Formats: sequence, C-alpha cells, structure tokens
Amino acid sequence: MRNMWVIFKKELFRVLTDKRLVLTVFILPGLSIFLIYSIMGEVIGRQMTEDEIYTHTVYAKNMPESIKHSLEERLTFELMEGEYDKDTLEEMVREEEVELALFFEEDFEDKIEAYQAGSPIPELIVYYNQGHQHSSTAYNQFMGVMNAYHESIIRDRLADPDDYHPYLMTSENFLDERTVAARGIAMLMPMLVIIFLFVGAMSIGPDAIAGEKERGTIASLLVTPTKRRDIALGKVSSIAVLSFLSAISSFAGILLSLPRLMQFGEEMPDMGIYRIVDFVAVFAVLLTTVIFIVSLISIISTYSKTIKEANAMIMPFYFIAMIIGILNSFGAEPNQSLWVHFFPIYAPINALSGILMFEYSVINLVITLLMNLVYSGLMVYALNKMFDSEKVMFTR
Amino acid sequence: MDLEVRNLRKTFNLSRKQRRIEHTDEKRRVAVRGLSFEAKRGEIYGLLGPNGAGKTTTLRCISTLIKPDEGDVFVDGKSVLKDSMGVRKNIAFLTNELKLDDFFTPNYLYDYFSRLHGVDEKTAEKRKKELFKRFGVDKFAEVKVADLSSGMKQKTSIAISLVHDPDFIIFDEPTNGLDVLTAKTVVDYLLELKESGKAIIVSTHILSVVEKLCDKVGIIIDGELKVSGTLQEVKAKDAKQDLENVFFSLVEESGGADRA
Ligand SMILES: Nc1ncnc2c1ncn2[C@@H]1O[C@H](COP(=O)(O)OP(=O)(O)O)[C@@H](O)[C@H]1O
Ligand SMILES: [Mg+2]
Repeated sequence: MRNMWVIFKKELFRVLTDKRLVLTVFILPGLSIFLIYSIMGEVIGRQMTEDEIYTHTVYAKNMPESIKHSLEERLTFELMEGEYDKDTLEEMVREEEVELALFFEEDFEDKIEAYQAGSPIPELIVYYNQGHQHSSTAYNQFMGVMNAYHESIIRDRLADPDDYHPYLMTSENFLDERTVAARGIAMLMPMLVIIFLFVGAMSIGPDAIAGEKERGTIASLLVTPTKRRDIALGKVSSIAVLSFLSAISSFAGILLSLPRLMQFGEEMPDMGIYRIVDFVAVFAVLLTTVIFIVSLISIISTYSKTIKEANAMIMPFYFIAMIIGILNSFGAEPNQSLWVHFFPIYAPINALSGILMFEYSVINLVITLLMNLVYSGLMVYALNKMFDSEKVMFTR
Repeated sequence: MDLEVRNLRKTFNLSRKQRRIEHTDEKRRVAVRGLSFEAKRGEIYGLLGPNGAGKTTTLRCISTLIKPDEGDVFVDGKSVLKDSMGVRKNIAFLTNELKLDDFFTPNYLYDYFSRLHGVDEKTAEKRKKELFKRFGVDKFAEVKVADLSSGMKQKTSIAISLVHDPDFIIFDEPTNGLDVLTAKTVVDYLLELKESGKAIIVSTHILSVVEKLCDKVGIIIDGELKVSGTLQEVKAKDAKQDLENVFFSLVEESGGADRA
C-alpha cells in the first residue's frame, strides 16, 4: 500500500509541475468554456439590443395615421420620402436597402368604414425579406399592429360586440421558476461534464501508462518489489484526482459563464435552487464516474504499446459518451426505469439530469453509484493482472 | 546459495507483425532451450552470444520481468516463480535500453526508486551522495533527464537501479552504445562491485568485454549454452587459447545462427 502512495505522488508531481500540462489540463478547459459561453451570450445580447436601437427604413404609401401611430409604438423606423413604384421597391427590399414596403390602397381607412356587404374591399400589399433580420423584425411588428387593427374592425362590424367571443377562456400559468431554471441546467451540464471528464483523463492517462511502455521506463518500475495492485491503484487514483481537478475547472467555467450566457434569456438559472443533498448527490455521481472513466482509459492505455495507439483506441468510447450526452441534452425526462441504471456512462448522465431536475429516486442513484464502483473495481482488478502479464507489458 | 539458473526454457508466440518483419512462418519461437548455469558472489558471469541468441530473454527471466515456461531461477535460494517479490528485493536489472522519464531530475528519480524499494531515508540519502559522486551525477542532480547527455543518462540509470544495494546485479549489454569514457566508468564500477562481493551477470556480443570483465563465461547460441566455465577453461577449447576462435567455431557448428 505504501508504494501506491509513492506512485500516486510521483504522477501528481509529474503533472502539477509541468507548466504546459497545467495549462492544458486545468486552465484551458475552464477558460475556453468561459470564453465561448461569454462570447455566445455577448453575441445574443448584442443582437437583441441592436434590434431595439436600429432605425428601420420603411416605405409606406397611403398609410393611415392610426396604423402609423401603432407601429411607432412597436418599431423604431423612418419613413422614406417620395414616391417609388413597386418594381423599384421590390429591388430595394431584395437588396436590403429597405426593410419593409407597404402599399395601402387610396383612402384605405374610409373604404373600410364605408363597407357594406358585397362592396369591394381595399387592398394592402406588403414587401419584406425574411432572410434579413431587420426586415423580418419589422414585418413581425407590423403584423402585430395589423392583427389588433383587424380585430377592432371585426368587432365594430358585429351587431353585438359580445358575438366576437364564441367562448370565454381564462388560462393561468402555474410556472415554477425553479423547474424552468433546473431544466436549463440539467440539459447542458451532464453532457459537458462527462465530455470534460473524458478529455481530462485522456490528456493524462495514456501518457502515464502507455507512455511508460513506449519510453521503456515501465521495466524499471516492474523490477522493484512493488505489488502490481499498488501500481494499478497508484496510477488510477492519481489520474482520477487529476481528471477530477480538470473537470472542476470546466465546471467552474460553466458556472461562471452561465450568467453571461443567460443574461438575455427568460429565466436566469440560479444555483440557489438546489439543496445541499443535491450537490452531494451530484458530487457522488461525478466522483464515481471519474473513477469509472479513468479505469477504462487506464485499461486501454495499459493494453496499448504507444500513446498514439491508446488515444486512437479511446476515441470510440469518447464518441459513445458524447453521443449519449448529446441525446440526453435534447432533454426528454430522465429515464426512471430500474434497468437502465446498470449501464455505464448512460446511467450517470441520466442520474445527473435527474438530480438537477429534482426527479430521481434514491434507489436509482444508489444503483448508479454502486455500478460505477463495481465496474471500476473489476477493471482495476484486470489492470492488476495486466501489469503482471508479460504478454501485455513486453509484446513486440 | 548464490544465483542458480536451472534448466530454463522460454517460448514466445510470434505476433503477425513480427512474423512479417522477420519473414518467417513459425508461430512460436523457442528463445531459450534448457539453460543452466550458476553465478557466485564475488564473480562476474558473462553470457556471450550473437544477436537473437536469447541473452536478453534469459536475463529478463532472472529479473522476474518474464516467467520461464520450464525450469526456474533461484536467487539466494528464492525462486523467481514462487517468490518473485523476494527476488526483486535483492536484484538489480540494468540494460542499455533502460530509459528514465525525461521529465524528472536524477535527484527525484533516485528518491522515488528508494521509496519503492523501501530504503529508509537516512540510508537512501547517504547512498545517493556516494553513488552520485562516484558517477559524477552530483553536478547534474537537479537537471531534467531530458537535458542530460546520453552518457550521463546511463550513469544516472545505473545509480538509480542500485538504490537498494542489491547482492545480485544483472546487466544486459553493459557497454552497448556508450562512448569509450562512459564504457570505462561502467566496466570499472562493475569490477568494484565484484570486489565488494556482489554476484554479477552480464550479457554481451562483444568478445573484449568478456576478456576484460568476466571470471566465468557461457557461450549461448540459438537459446542453448554451448560451453560454460571459467574464462581459462573456455579458452582452453582452442589450441591458441583464443576466445574468438572458440566463439566462431561454435557459431559455425550451429550453422551461423545470427537471425537478427
Ligand atoms: N517478447 C517477445 N516476443 C516474441 N519474440 C521474442 C520476444 N523477445 C524475444 N523474442 C525472440 O526470442 C529470440 C531471442 O531474443 P533475445 O533474448 O532478445 O536475444 P538477444 O538478447 O540474445 O539478442 C529472438 O529470436 C527474438 O526474436
Ligand atoms: Mg538482447
């Protein structure tokens, strides 16, 4: 057992004193997530404010004053001077010089007021360009105005204004702010965390094990009176601690950038909605999952002859984890059936979403944690055998 | 009881890649076939043989890195099969291929292996001073292995392999790939170790190494020990007392067994 510590400390020393590794394993993941999310939030935010301050260019022929006033309340715009024909305006809307072109028939409002059954109805032609963001916004706002206008006219035409309502509807929204926020967090976090756990373990594991085989340093370790179990445990535990630190860096990046990402969204996720037990449960799932992933990567790294080979062989597992994570983030409810909690990788991701959405049963959580540990135990046992196998250690 | 190799036999399965590289159809290769010899304290035993003769395989079996299919090795009475941990405590395995992790300093690696061998700190510190001084590593103790010259790397790796002051020292091709000066340091040191009562086994394909270093010699060809005895006894096989003649006539007898 003492030698396990000796190996553990050496592996930690190896990584923690290497500036390049510290940068790539601990700083870069958190920093890059923080930057990406902050920039995303910034871009979304800028677009929203830009829509508000942007002055739209609108051409309007014969626009009734009442409609103009309503539109002014909803959209910042400037009316074009002068008269243009439809073809010219079509061209201008296509070229994005004009956002919205409105052709009201002459005396539009008078004609509507003078309406009798069977008399001709006035015409309105609208040009816009949905592919252009400002044009699309202008059109949507204009349609909002026209819908209200439409409604008021119909109501006026009815003999009894109450006829306008074929039914009476009241709706009440019992929205729980907590679940909305939780959903947002549960969608993103499990996937990101699993991916970063993998990335963290992948940047350390192959070098620590396959690297020793590739460099030929493993023989010096194997001729010392060190139990193979101590070698296996020393390697796995050190890689696990380092990967966990790396995952925490990514996690911090997510947490810090969340307010910036969500600043213009409807609901602002707030970690305060979770209780201590939730955090403990998340922590337990993460910890056992780290051990599982690291054991898996260690097995592959021990089997491989070179770092390159190890990385290539880890890739498929990484992709599987990523796909499970992405499917999970498309966010159906967490799967509650007992048997799915026996599947590695899927179960912890599912459990994480469950915990974050306040929808998990203790029994499922316990199975997830236990299975992570059971699988890891089996793999560490295999690892121990592998370190003792000359076929694995000295194959040509 | 010193070190006894008894009827050692080792067979490898050849991987497909290896079969392709060596242009051969054989699925299995007998690397060592029934080898027996003894090495005593205060003596250097030399395994002399051409490339591919089975020297490294034999030394790896003695050092517990691989397990023999048949036979056994007893180191101070302990079997490599039954008590590999006991053997490891009292043996050092050195090779010219033994690499050190580039990232660490000789100082760190020395302490690391001292701890793995369970040497107490005081003893380790004292021994480190001696060994580093002996090999001139002391001036480079805090330089990363990556920045050491290849001669200094080899000297460091010798020092580090001997942290536990073992009685049995196994050295595969001790002077291979070394510059003359480093090679001389190594040879001198091995002679010193012999004087202090260690049992040493070296392998080599270089005749002069045997002449300079060994008290006893075994000529291994194609996994078999053709002759074994004191240097004088082996030389006596030739009318002119010439080791080279003995060696080449044995190689010829077995059909020029150089495969590699
Ligand atoms: N791990 C291995 N797998 C397959 N064949 C091996 C292995 N190690 C050695 N051999 C084969 O066994 C024979 C003896 O090799 P070795 O002991 O390295 O010879 P030497 O050290 O005398 O040059 C060679 O033919 C070599 O190809
Ligand atoms: Mg060899």
